[in-house]
Amino acid sequence: MILGPLLTLLLVLAVAPALPGLATRTRALLTGRRGAPVLQLYRDLARLLRKNVVYSRTTTAVFRIGPMVVVATVVAAATLLPLDGHAALLSFRGDLVAFTGLLGLGRFALVLAGLDTGSSFEGMGASREVTVSVFAEPALFLCLTVLVLATGEISLAGMLGERLAAVWFGAAPSLVLAAAALFMLALAETSRVPVDDPATHLELTMIHEVIVLDHSGPELGMILFGNAVKLALFGALVTGVLLPLGLLPVWLAPLVLVAGLGVVAIGVGIVESSMARLRMNRVPQFLVAASALAVFGVILLLR
Amino acid sequence: MRLLLLAVLLLLGAGAGALVLRRRPRLADGVYVTLLLAGAAAGLSQAVVVLAGGAESVVAVAGTLPGGPWAFGLDPLSAWFILPILGVGACAGAFGVGYLGFERSHRPVAGTHALFVLLLVGLTGVVTAQAIVPFLAAWEIMAISAYLLVMHDHEDADVRRAGLIYIILTHLSTLALIGMFAALSVNATGHSFTELGLGNRTPGAARTVALGLALVGFGLKAGAVPLHFWLPGAHAAAPSHVSAVLSGVMLKVGIYGLFRVVSLVGAPPAWFGWALFGLGLVSGVLGVLWALAQHELKRLLAYHSVENIGIILLGMGVGVLGVAYGQPAVAVLGFTGALLHTLNHALFKSLLFLGAGAVLRATGRRMIDELGGLGRRMPWTAVAFGVGSVAIVGLPPLNGFVSEWTVFQGMLAAGASREPLRYAVVGAAGLGLIGALALACFTKLDGTLFLGHPRSPIAGRLPLRDPGTVMLGPMLALAGLCVAIGLLPAVVLRPARLILTELAIVPGSGALADTSWSADAMGVTVLGAGLVAAIVLLLLARRWLPAGGVARLAPTWSCAMAVSTSRMQYTASSYAAFLLGAFGPLAGTHVSRTADSFHTSVADPVQDGAVLPAWRMLGRTSVLLRGIQGGRLRWYLLLVIFTLLVLLLYLTKAGRAS
Repeated sequence: MILGPLLTLLLVLAVAPALPGLATRTRALLTGRRGAPVLQLYRDLARLLRKNVVYSRTTTAVFRIGPMVVVATVVAAATLLPLDGHAALLSFRGDLVAFTGLLGLGRFALVLAGLDTGSSFEGMGASREVTVSVFAEPALFLCLTVLVLATGEISLAGMLGERLAAVWFGAAPSLVLAAAALFMLALAETSRVPVDDPATHLELTMIHEVIVLDHSGPELGMILFGNAVKLALFGALVTGVLLPLGLLPVWLAPLVLVAGLGVVAIGVGIVESSMARLRMNRVPQFLVAASALAVFGVILLLR
Repeated sequence: MRLLLLAVLLLLGAGAGALVLRRRPRLADGVYVTLLLAGAAAGLSQAVVVLAGGAESVVAVAGTLPGGPWAFGLDPLSAWFILPILGVGACAGAFGVGYLGFERSHRPVAGTHALFVLLLVGLTGVVTAQAIVPFLAAWEIMAISAYLLVMHDHEDADVRRAGLIYIILTHLSTLALIGMFAALSVNATGHSFTELGLGNRTPGAARTVALGLALVGFGLKAGAVPLHFWLPGAHAAAPSHVSAVLSGVMLKVGIYGLFRVVSLVGAPPAWFGWALFGLGLVSGVLGVLWALAQHELKRLLAYHSVENIGIILLGMGVGVLGVAYGQPAVAVLGFTGALLHTLNHALFKSLLFLGAGAVLRATGRRMIDELGGLGRRMPWTAVAFGVGSVAIVGLPPLNGFVSEWTVFQGMLAAGASREPLRYAVVGAAGLGLIGALALACFTKLDGTLFLGHPRSPIAGRLPLRDPGTVMLGPMLALAGLCVAIGLLPAVVLRPARLILTELAIVPGSGALADTSWSADAMGVTVLGAGLVAAIVLLLLARRWLPAGGVARLAPTWSCAMAVSTSRMQYTASSYAAFLLGAFGPLAGTHVSRTADSFHTSVADPVQDGAVLPAWRMLGRTSVLLRGIQGGRLRWYLLLVIFTLLVLLLYLTKAGRAS
């Protein structure tokens, strides 16, 4: 019973580092470059884990604990998602609040670790990160509200599980709107274009990258891995909303999920190659647009 | 009830001891703390017995006192509010001994200690009174002792002004309550709460008026927007351990009053639920937004109380709506969430105020932009404050999450039910926004206070260290409770549901008999324990890495910026500027920018934008009336005759009509 979700979780954690690579490779190919290999992040992680680390003299234990909290929270959040559309490792009513709360705790730790260095760059990134999250959080709750209204369930395992498959066609317009909003949130939460640009080289335009400027060695690896898993979680949400995985047999669903994650990552790459990063004061508008999509979904179900 | 009586006597004894022994400070402090802790222990044990399902009792002071019997009783609802009053009260009182110890050289502090226990006794009286007159009497003891405590630093003009606004507003609230009790008495046979309840079971004009006045009176006391503006000033002006009780406990008396009224009138109407829901949403979002704009440590925390009162009101609103629309399962979740958040907010907010007190005592600075890097030199204060921060943002695995999760569940369950209750689901997005703003605010606060470099030359030179045991102990005790409730929510969920059963706040026993909540609580426990275990394991695993123990120390790199001074750090102002800018005029900030500095100052949109202008307008128009006060006798005589004539005319007309 518990084995299936556990294996799916391990599978997702294993393929997660390939997703940013896939997105970056897509972007490179579409813009006429060869780009880094898809599996580059695995090599980076292996190298970072072997490296020594340099700590700033200004920092305290907060700086060292931060990356561990980031990884622990995204993995704990992953246990709440019914990744294969059948069951989650851990499920209770209202666990979607725990899901967002865990991501929030990771952000809390990361932002404080950045502020711990006393650098103006890190402060700037932290300020931007929390601003983006303020606009992303209501949008995420509105997307989950669509699922609550569509299925009448208030746990993630219920609202993304077999019940969703049963009501999918009746609520399809709302669910598609919610999935679109979730995709936009995935871009914002994992710092991709048009909210942030992972390939930028100018600190003044960064959000996520600039918070972690002073992290090095295994700590940096933890943060990169945590961000990749976060992309996988949002990808799984998008896939789960669009494809009723609960209809598939238990052995097939994880494979379809991985394929869905790949499609989402390629989608991220396509977005990145087709538009530029938004000006910083436009970012809230982008996220309000995501909220508006989800609100339309809610209205369609409330009428 | 006997134990509670003993508790009140011990508390009064503590105050008397502090006064009598004021010439021998060491002995006075010892007696005060001992009696305070003993009294709190006695009262808390009684409350715990009642909450565990033990017998409740009523003590009626016999005789023909004015206004009916002076009855006091301890039912589960009263017992629930006794927990923060005496628990937080004891912690804050003990902290206060250390906190005020610094002032002993230039100011008598015994009176403040005595007033502090009087405040606790008043609060105890309010939540245990079972009739109108003792309730209002205790209410006034509470309000006035709180006023005198706010005026502790009365040399400061700002403190006097804050105290004045507080005393006016608290009496407006008393006035509304007198009106409310009058309206409730219209159909009742007596002045005890039981009789008031029996007389108001059915809808009617009197009941509608009473519910409206309850919103005003108790809303003022709780500090709901737009009736909050007395709160930040008063809570920032009081000594920190008093602020802890004012913010953590005294505001909750307003919540207690609303719960009591809801339990008296049986099924409240839907409009009352939507009103609570709307007040909660507005208070929650605006409270935290205005907190974000504050850069003064205690004012910031005080605005967060407005936010948390908003969350409590949201839960209550969902509860009332659930009852009104016949969805007991939703009602149970909403009310439970409101009760839990009442307790949890008392714990983490008083913890944060005590932490703020420790910082204030160490540095003497209220503006957080002057501080920084305190975490290295005051590590225990930083840890306790950090626990309080994570708890107030509502993040797992601490207690703030447990109550916000319950309120969220109420709203989501409302969404999964029928129209028109389904519309309450929009509150989930609002509560999500509140949580994200709170995260922004407390990362700002923690980062600016405890991390980075000191932001002013003075702060860098201060000899700082953690406060002594008498101040640190209460903080760590409160932090421990935050962690314990976060990891074991079942401990507080069970008594909270007992209250709803015993007071028949939620009709029907089906939803309350449902025991599936304990599985949900277990889920939270597993998640919290797993998370803590994962973090610890990762930190241990970090050491096993090939280069685990080797670390080099260097200055902060920040892209090899050659010169980096502490003045180049982000301040609280610059940290919040981007976010506040996105909210525009709603945030009430004013930006001042020069070539080498950036600062935002802030005005309360309600007080400075509406109340004070209206007050000044009233003053200006009153000038027009000055003409008739000319000091001429014939003019006055004319006025008297004119008034008499009008009255006579009225009487003859009224006489003819009857």
